Amino acid sequence: MLEIRNLTKSFGGVKATNDVTLDFPDGSLTAVIGPNGAGKSTFFNLITGALRPASGQVLLDGVDLAGRSPPEIVRHGIGRAFQVANIFKSLTVQETMLAAVSADQRSSAVLHKRFPLAETRDRAEHVMELLGLSGKRHRTAATLSHGDQKLLDIALALVLEPKVLLLDEPTAGMGPEERWRMIDKVRELWETQKITVVFIEHDMDIVFKIAPKIVVLCYGQILATGTPDEIRNNSAVIDAYLGTEHAGAVA
Amino acid sequence: MTELEAGGAERLAPVRNGTALHRYRDVLIALIAFAVLASLPLLTGSKALLDFVIRCSAYGLFATSLNLLVGYTGLTSFGHGMFFGLGAYSYGLIMQKLGVPIPVAFVATLVITAAVAAVIGAICVRLKEIYFAFVTLAFQMLIHSTILSWASFTGGDQGLRGGIPRPVFLGIDLANHVHLYVASCALLILGLLAMHQIAQSPFGYTLRMIRDNAARASFLGIDVWRAKLTVFVLAALFAAMGGMVMALFVSGAYPEFAYWTISGEGIFINMLGGVSTFLGPMVGTVLLLLLNDTVTRFTEYHGIVLGIVILFFALGLRKGLLDFVAEWYAHRRDAGEGR
Amino acid sequence: MPRSHRPFAPGPAHGYESAQVDLDAFAGCLTSSACLVTQTTSGLIIGMLLFLVAVGLTLIFGVLKVVNFSHGAFYMFGAYFAMTAYQLTGSFALAMLAGAAGTAILGLIFERVFMSRVYGADVLMQLLVCYAFVLIFDDVVRIIWGPEFKSMGMPSAFQVMPLFIAGGVVPPYYLLLIGVALLAAVVLGLGLSRSRIGKVIRAAAHNPGMVSALGINTGLIYGGVFALGGMLAGLAGALAAPVRSLTPGMGFSVLIESFIVTVIGGMGSILGALIGALLLGLIRSFGSLGFPLFTDGLMYLFMVIVLVSKPTGLFGKEAA
Repeated sequence: MLEIRNLTKSFGGVKATNDVTLDFPDGSLTAVIGPNGAGKSTFFNLITGALRPASGQVLLDGVDLAGRSPPEIVRHGIGRAFQVANIFKSLTVQETMLAAVSADQRSSAVLHKRFPLAETRDRAEHVMELLGLSGKRHRTAATLSHGDQKLLDIALALVLEPKVLLLDEPTAGMGPEERWRMIDKVRELWETQKITVVFIEHDMDIVFKIAPKIVVLCYGQILATGTPDEIRNNSAVIDAYLGTEHAGAVA
Repeated sequence: MTELEAGGAERLAPVRNGTALHRYRDVLIALIAFAVLASLPLLTGSKALLDFVIRCSAYGLFATSLNLLVGYTGLTSFGHGMFFGLGAYSYGLIMQKLGVPIPVAFVATLVITAAVAAVIGAICVRLKEIYFAFVTLAFQMLIHSTILSWASFTGGDQGLRGGIPRPVFLGIDLANHVHLYVASCALLILGLLAMHQIAQSPFGYTLRMIRDNAARASFLGIDVWRAKLTVFVLAALFAAMGGMVMALFVSGAYPEFAYWTISGEGIFINMLGGVSTFLGPMVGTVLLLLLNDTVTRFTEYHGIVLGIVILFFALGLRKGLLDFVAEWYAHRRDAGEGR
Repeated sequence: MPRSHRPFAPGPAHGYESAQVDLDAFAGCLTSSACLVTQTTSGLIIGMLLFLVAVGLTLIFGVLKVVNFSHGAFYMFGAYFAMTAYQLTGSFALAMLAGAAGTAILGLIFERVFMSRVYGADVLMQLLVCYAFVLIFDDVVRIIWGPEFKSMGMPSAFQVMPLFIAGGVVPPYYLLLIGVALLAAVVLGLGLSRSRIGKVIRAAAHNPGMVSALGINTGLIYGGVFALGGMLAGLAGALAAPVRSLTPGMGFSVLIESFIVTVIGGMGSILGALIGALLLGLIRSFGSLGFPLFTDGLMYLFMVIVLVSKPTGLFGKEAA
C-alpha cells in the first residue's frame, strides 16, 4: 500500500504540492485530475524522487521513501512512465527491455558476460508480449510511432515489476481513437498484473469511464477524492474545475 | 495503436547459446588478426611499416578507449590524453628508477592510473556536457604543468631521457624490434578484445542507456554516477596501455604525451573513423597516421591539408567514415526488409 | 604544432632565480610597493588582453551556443595585420584599426561561409570545423609572414621614459593598452545594455527562437556577433603586437587561457569574463614570482576549484 502523508513542496513561495495526504491501496486504479498547473506532475516527481519534498512522507508498505534518490525508490517498487515518452532512442525495443531487466536484476555493471544475460530474456519477452511490442522488437526506439514510444515507456516501467505504477498522462499527444486503445491497455494491465496503478489524465470522459477512484488536485491541494459519481456531483470540483473548463464536456 | 498489429519480420537472434557464440567469434577474429599482424615481419623487412603498426597500436588503444567515453557513454572528454601521458610517464619512471621486470611495471602503471583516474573521475563525472569537457581539459593541463615543473623527477620539458631499460622477460626482448612489434600487436589485440567485451557486456548497454537518456536510466534503478566513474577509470586504463606502448616504442616519455593536443587528436580520430561502431576509432587512427605521414612527406604545410580533410569530414560527410558506412548499410538493410 | 607559447606571460619581473617554488620572492614582493605595482600592472595587461579575447568567446557562446575553438586565430591575425599595417604606414592608430577591422571581416566570412553550416549539429562537429581552421590559419600565417618569430616593435610615440608609480616601473604603453581595453569593455557593456542592437543580441542569447519570431534576421545577428567577437580578439592581438613576439600558433595558448577565463567567469557572462580575466592575469603575474614553473598549473588548479564548487562558473546562469 502506498501512503502519502502531508507531502509538501514549494517553488519560490508557491506551494506546488501542499500538505497532500492520500492512500493508494494495493491493486487500486486511481486517476489524478486537475487543471493545468494543479501540481499533478510535481506530485509524481515527489513520489518518484525526481524532486525532494520539503516535508511529508511517502510510505510504501510502511517504508518511508521521501527524499530518496530515483534509483532507490525504483528499487523499492515504484515505477513510472512519463508524459513525453522517455526512452532510449538508439536502442531497439528488445535491447531496451533486456537492459532494463538487467538493471532490475542488478547486473547492469556486469563486465565479463555478454549482453543480454540469459536470465533477462523471459521477463523482457513477457512484457513485450503484454504491450504488443514483440513484433517491433528489432526497431530502434527513435523510429517507433508516437503511440509505440509511449507503450515502450510504460513497458520500461512495467518490466521492473513494480508494486506501484505511476503513469503521467499515458494518452498525451494521441488522437481520440488511439487514446481509447491506450487506456484500454492500461486498464487491461491493471487487471492482469494486479498492481497499483495511478495515472494522470486530462480527458474527463476517459477518467469517468475507467477509474474506480479519482483524486482532484487544485493549486497543489486535494480538492476532492471519490468515485466518479461522487466527483461528478462534488460542488467544489464543479466550481473550481469542471465548472470552468469542462462544463461543456461533462454536460 | 495503429502499428501494433503490423508485426515486423521476426529476426530473433539465436537466443541462449548466442552470447557464448559471439564471444568465441570475437576471440577467433582476434586470433586471426593477431596472426596476420604477427606474420608481417616474415613478409616484409620494412622497419617503417612495422613502426607504423606500433604507432597505430599506441594511438588505436588510446582512441578506442576514448570512444568508450564519447561514443558509448556520451562523455566528451577533452582531457583523456592525460592518461596516455600518465601511462607513458609512470611506466618510464618505474622502469628507470626501480628497475623491476617489465610486467611488474606494466601492472603497477595500471594500478597508478586507476587510482588517479578514480580521483579525477569522481570530481569530473558529476558535471555535464561542456563542463565535463572543460574540467577534464583543466586536469589534463594540470598534469602537463606538473610534468613540466617537476623537472627533477620528470625531466621537465626535456622529458624522460636516457632511454627506458628493456630487460628481457619470459624470453621476450623488447629491445629487439620484431619482439617489440609483436608485443605491441598483442597488446593492441588484447586491449581491443577487452574493450569490445566491455562494449558488449550488460555494462556496455548501461552506458548506452546513460548516453541516450541518463535521467531515464536512473529511473530504472541505475546509479548513473557510479557507472560513469567506472567507465572513466576503465577507459583510462586502456589509454595508459596506449601510452605504455608509446613509451616502449620511443624509449622515453615527453610532455607532449600529456599535452591537450593528444586529447584533441583522439577526438579527431574518433570523428574521422566514426563513433557509432566499435572499430571506427581504429579506422580513424590508421587514416590520421597515414594522412600525417604522407602529407608531411610532401609539404611542410600539412596543417592546411589536414584542415581541409577535416572540413571534408565535418561539412561534407558530417560523420565519421565507419558511421557513414554503417548508416548506408543499415539503410540498405531496412530497404531490403521492405515494410 | 608549436607548443606552449606564452604571449601574455611576463616572466619573473625582477630577475628572481627561476626556482620551482620561490616563496621568498613571493613574500618579498608583497611587502615591496615597487614590486606590487609592477606585478599588478603586468597582471592587469595580461588580464585586459585576455578579457578582450574571452569576451568575444563568451558572446559567441552566449548567442550562437558555439564554442569557437578557432578564436585564438583572430587574436593572431589581429597582431599580424597590425604589424603589417604599421610597417606600411608607420601609423600606430592605423595599425590598431587594421587589426580590429581585418579580423571583423574575417569573422563575418568565417561565420557565414563555414560555421553557419554546423549550427544545430553535434558539438563535436562544430569543434572539429574550428580545429580545422586552427590548423589552416596557422599555416596561412606561416605562408604569408613566415614561420619565424616576428616583432612589430614599440611605436616611436611610446618610446619614452617609463613612469614610476610608487617605485614601480610602468611603461606608458601599458597604460594605453589598459585604457583602450577598458574603453572597449565599457563601450561593449553600454552597447549591449542600452542600444537596440545590443538588446536584440541579448535577446538572441536568451531565446534564439523569439528573435526570429520578431522578424529579425538571425543570420545577420549571428554574423554580426562573430564579427564583433573576431574584432575584439583582433584588437587584443593588435594591442599585444608591440609588446609580444609574433609567431604562427600564438593564438593557441591565448585560446586556452580565454577558455579558462570564460569557464571561470561563466559561459555567456560578460562581467564574468572581465572578472575572470583580471583574476587570471593577477594569478599569472604574481604566480610567476612564487611558482615560476607552475604558473600554468596555478591557472588550471584555479579553474578546477571553481568548476568543482560552481560548475557554471562564477557568474554563469544555472542550467535550467
